[in-house]
Formats: sequence, structure tokens, C-alpha cells
Amino acid sequence: MTLYGQAIISGVLVGGLYAMMSLGVSLSWGVLKIINLAYFSFILLAGYGSYELAANHGWDPFLTVLAVVPVVVIVGALLQLFFEKVKIGEFESLLVTFGLLIMLESVARSIWTADFRRIPSTANPYASSSLRIGAFAFPTPQLSAFLTAIVIGLLMKYLLDRTYFGKAVRALAQDRDMARAFGVDHRRVAVLLSGLAAATAAIAGVFIAMSQALFPGLAVEWFGIVFPVVILGGLGSTLGALGAGVVIGVVAAIASVTWGPSYAPLATFVILIATLLFRPEGLFTRKASV
Amino acid sequence: MTSPTAVRLAGFTVVALALWFLPTLQGPLDFPIFYLLFGYTLLFWFAQASSWNMFTGYSGYFSFGQGAFFGVGVYTTGVLAAKRGWPLIAAIPVAGILAAVLGLSLGFVVFRLRRLQGEIFALVTLAVAFVVAAIARVSSTIDGGSGIALNDVRLPDFLGTFPSMMFRLGLIIAVLTVFAAATIQRSRLGWGLFSINDDEAVAESLGVPTFRHKMMAFGMSAFFAGLSGAVHAIQISYITIEDVFSIRIPLFVIVMSVLGGMRHWMGPIVGATIIHTLTDRLNRAGDLDLFGGSLTVSLDHLNDIIIGLLLIVMVLAVKDGLWPRLVKRKWAAAGAFLFGLLVARIWAPEMSPIGQFVAGELGAVVVLLPPVAVIDRWRNRRESSKTPDEPTGRPTVGATP
Repeated sequence: MTLYGQAIISGVLVGGLYAMMSLGVSLSWGVLKIINLAYFSFILLAGYGSYELAANHGWDPFLTVLAVVPVVVIVGALLQLFFEKVKIGEFESLLVTFGLLIMLESVARSIWTADFRRIPSTANPYASSSLRIGAFAFPTPQLSAFLTAIVIGLLMKYLLDRTYFGKAVRALAQDRDMARAFGVDHRRVAVLLSGLAAATAAIAGVFIAMSQALFPGLAVEWFGIVFPVVILGGLGSTLGALGAGVVIGVVAAIASVTWGPSYAPLATFVILIATLLFRPEGLFTRKASV
Repeated sequence: MTSPTAVRLAGFTVVALALWFLPTLQGPLDFPIFYLLFGYTLLFWFAQASSWNMFTGYSGYFSFGQGAFFGVGVYTTGVLAAKRGWPLIAAIPVAGILAAVLGLSLGFVVFRLRRLQGEIFALVTLAVAFVVAAIARVSSTIDGGSGIALNDVRLPDFLGTFPSMMFRLGLIIAVLTVFAAATIQRSRLGWGLFSINDDEAVAESLGVPTFRHKMMAFGMSAFFAGLSGAVHAIQISYITIEDVFSIRIPLFVIVMSVLGGMRHWMGPIVGATIIHTLTDRLNRAGDLDLFGGSLTVSLDHLNDIIIGLLLIVMVLAVKDGLWPRLVKRKWAAAGAFLFGLLVARIWAPEMSPIGQFVAGELGAVVVLLPPVAVIDRWRNRRESSKTPDEPTGRPTVGATP
């Protein structure tokens, strides 16, 4: 029973990380109609940046956020500006960002090689520390990632529901041309939103570097987690991504405890297919909001 | 006898027969055996790219699932031929059927969605390779995580020595696949798929059985990808999950088809030829020293960067691919090809024939890349130097005919 309790706890905690990884793809797809696979490489490069600073320059892993996030935000915003410039369509964006993902993965491979890279434990005291409550352990990186995800989720929710910027975002998501006719500056909203999404991706990357080993192929492996989360959460839904991240995290954790770690991707895929069959608009959104 | 299908069948038969005897000529002509294996790999990419394009290129539904179908093919050979002792020839059709079953069950789920079908299809196919990989890794009847060696497979010896046999098997599968792609393009099914590509709602209201057409084409696409994978398992000879289900297969077939052009069966062939010869040369070129050795760039990594960049440029600027332009500018392209070939001959006589071919190819691509609008403007300027510029004309970046 403790085994399952622990599995559920780590599933919930890692769900926060999944949500942060998926938020960029979900917002960009749901609101901007751009399927941006480049977020995967942003996560990867942010992770490597954090690794580089912590392992070779003696930074505290948490503090690397300060250096990594601004860089990734600028790159994400510039990329969106480029998309606005060439007036990219939904399918073209999928292909173009796929090309970008391959290029950036190859850049990562030529800088950091294909070997596993992990911040050494001397530079990263958090990896092995954890908060203990009774029989259960809450590892520090996962716990802080989860709390960060909740804070980000609530902030985003506030931003989208209560501010003028959020109103503009929702208007764009509903009807782009009509929003434009009412004076919503599409380019400005899109660039701002992409910057925010890139920041979330970068934070996710830092937490990943803190808790596991990095290798260039990770970017592609994350597809199998992020897409179920995006579809299950509903496109463009912030809290949906959070809820879906937790669901996917828990299911994957229970599957790997019950049958073995290799079954985790199978379980998430079954969820993805089931969602597509029975509730294609996502678990956490009202019908017809896709 | 003069129906278009009969003519096409005759044409394909002639080409196939001519190539069939290429391995026989290897002795008399005394060219290195390497060319047979190079030819096999080229034929493999013809089959992969054409099989992908006969669904995605015609219907516009973007599939990232090629790796899964290829992988099913590879592992069918691995399990049936290597572990169970089936002859290779018997395993190949089973591989195709299994891949088709996977494709049809995926299609059955996704093609019934009402909204965002295309996007979700793309992403589900992206995820499916990982799932098939996960199943193969878990199941000890398939792989179990340790990989399979294919040394003891019963090969069809009547096809000649190993390189000749590989070349001929690759040829059979490539010809079948390309013939199917060409036939679909000109058939009712092809018209239906193109109409789905243009506007699915309109196509459906005009009575095109969209669900059935998509299922048929996707099933066939998966079938040929599986066949080709089953043969390729022998070429790989030691199959592991990481190699077989990597992102390379979908990446390459996409770039090849996008480069060549997706609305004609020749597009993937042109694209596969260019990409395969180019990457082969880059892989063999080793490391490149820049700035007097202070910076070493591994051309192997450069390969992926070039492929990614090519994809971006083609999607943004040359949407129709090279084939339609090649048809329009065939003489200019042929001239540029010969020019590149000659330059390589004179400047680098020690270069291998493939290297020279690549040089000619690059010359032809340079001629094909400028968009039609640029050529037209240049032509107009030459014909009448006083042609006024259109005052309201938008910049014609990436304009397509």
C-alpha cells in the first residue's frame, strides 16, 4: 500500500512538471493556431543551460532560472514575431517547428554530445533531498516543480480571466478576425503570450535538469507525454493542462509500479486514444470550446 | 492496350527489368559493389517516401507515423525470420499486413473525429511510434529490450549474392510502391484524396466517401512502409528499439516528399534522390576544419541541421516542391546539372561519381529554387525594359504559381 501511496504522490508531483511542459504547446495551439514543436527544444536547451551553469560555473540549480528564462523568453518571442511576419498557417507551423526541433536537437548534440549529462550531486544538493511525511517522501525537485506549476497555473488563470490582456487572448482564441476588427493587436498579444509560454517551458527545463539526466533524444521522447496532456486538458486551457498533467502523471506512475516502467507510455497512450474516442474536446473543458 | 494504366504498367516493367540485371552486369562492367548497396538504400528511400506520400501527399493529412509502420515491418522480420526461422520471403508479406492493420486501427479512431481531425491525426501518429516501441520493449516475444541479431535468417539465395539480393528485393518493393502511388494518383481514389486535400467538407457534400478513401489510402501507405521495413531489417542486421523507432524515418520521408513535391508521385523520388546522395556525401566527408583548425565542425551533425533548414525553407518558400518546377524548367535544370557535373569533373577529378552527381544536382536545384514570380519579373524586364512596376504590387516572397 505504501508503494501505491508513494506512486500516487510522485505521479501528482511529476504531473506539475508535465503541465509546465505542455502549457506552451497548448496555449500556442489553442489561441494562436500554431502547433509549436519548438517548445520541446526550448525545454531541452533550458535544461542544458541550467546544467552548464550549475555543473561548470557553480551556480545554485534554482538560481539558474534567472539566467535561462530570459534567454528562452526572447527566443520564443522572436520565433513568434517570425511566424507573424511570414503569416504561417497551422500545418506549415507544425512542419517548420519540426525542422527547427531537429536543428536545435542537433545543435545540442554537437555541444553536449549524445551522452547522459547530469548535474553532479556536489553541485546539486536538492536531487537527493526530500521532505518526509510519515512513510512518504516528497523529493525536493519534484515538490518544488509541482508548487511552481500551481503558482504558474493560478497566475495564468488570473491573467487570462481577469485582465485586459487575457480578454484579448480569449477573443483571439474564439474568433481571430472578429477580435482584430474590434481592435485587438494580434501581433502584440501573440508575442507576449509566446514569451509567457516560453518562460514556462524554460522553468520546466530547469527542473528537469535538477531531477534527471539530460540527453538530446529527450526532446522527442516528451511527445508521448505532452500530447496526451494537451489533448486531455483541452486546447488552450491552463488549469486543464494542470489537471491533465496530474492525471497522466498518476496513471503513468501506477502503471510503472504495477507492471514496470516500460508500461507507462502505453498507459498514457491508452488514455490519449480513449479521450479522442469519447471526449475529444478534453476532460477539463466544457463541450464545444475547442 | 493503350489505356494509361497499361502504358504505365509497361513503362514500370521496362525500368524494373533494366534495373533487375544491373547486379548481373557488376562483374563485366567492374564497378564497385558499394554501388549496389548504395542503390539498395536509394530504392529503400524511394519506397518509404512514396508510401508516405501516397496518403499524406495526396490527402493532406500529415502523418508522423511512418516510423511505426517501418518498425512493425522491421520487427516482423526480426521475430518471424530470425527467432522463428521463417524464410525472409514469407515474413515480408506478413510485415505489410501487420503494418496495414496498425494503420487501419489508428485511422479508425482518428478519422471519426469531427473537429481538428487533421491536427489530431498528425499528433497521434507522432505518438504512436513511441507506443509501438514501448510494446516491443516490454514484450519478450518481440524484443524484450535486448535487440535481435539477424545473422541466421534464411535469405532468398536464388536472387544472387548478398548485395545483388538486397538490390533486387529493394527494387521489387520500390517498383511496387511507386507503381501503386502513380496508379492511385490517376484513379478515382486519387481524385477523392485530392478533393479531401482541397476542402474536405465540400468533398463530402459532393459525395466523396471521405472516410473510406482515407482508410484505404492510409492502409496501403502503411502496408508498403511495412514491406519496405521488413527488407530493411536485413540491411540493419542487428535491430534495436532505439534505432528502429527513432525520429529519422518520419523526418526523412517528410523532408524528401516536401522537397520533391507532394502532389505528384515523382516528387518523393526526386526528393529522395537529392537527400540520399547529399547526406551520403556529407556523412563520408568526415570533419570539416574551419579557421585553420581552430573550429572543427562534424559534418554528421551538420547533416541534421541542413535537413531541418531545408524543411523550413521549402515549407515557407517552395510550397509545391521541386517537381512542378522541374517540369517547367527542365532544359534549364538539365543544363545546370551538366554544368555542375563538368565543374566537379574539372576541379576535383578525384571525386567519386556520386560526389560529381551531387555537384550537378546542386546546380539543378539552384536553378529550380527561385520562385516563378522572380523569373517572370526578370523575363519581363528583359523583354521590355520600360515595363512599369506595379504600384500596389505586394512583395513576391515565396510566391507560387
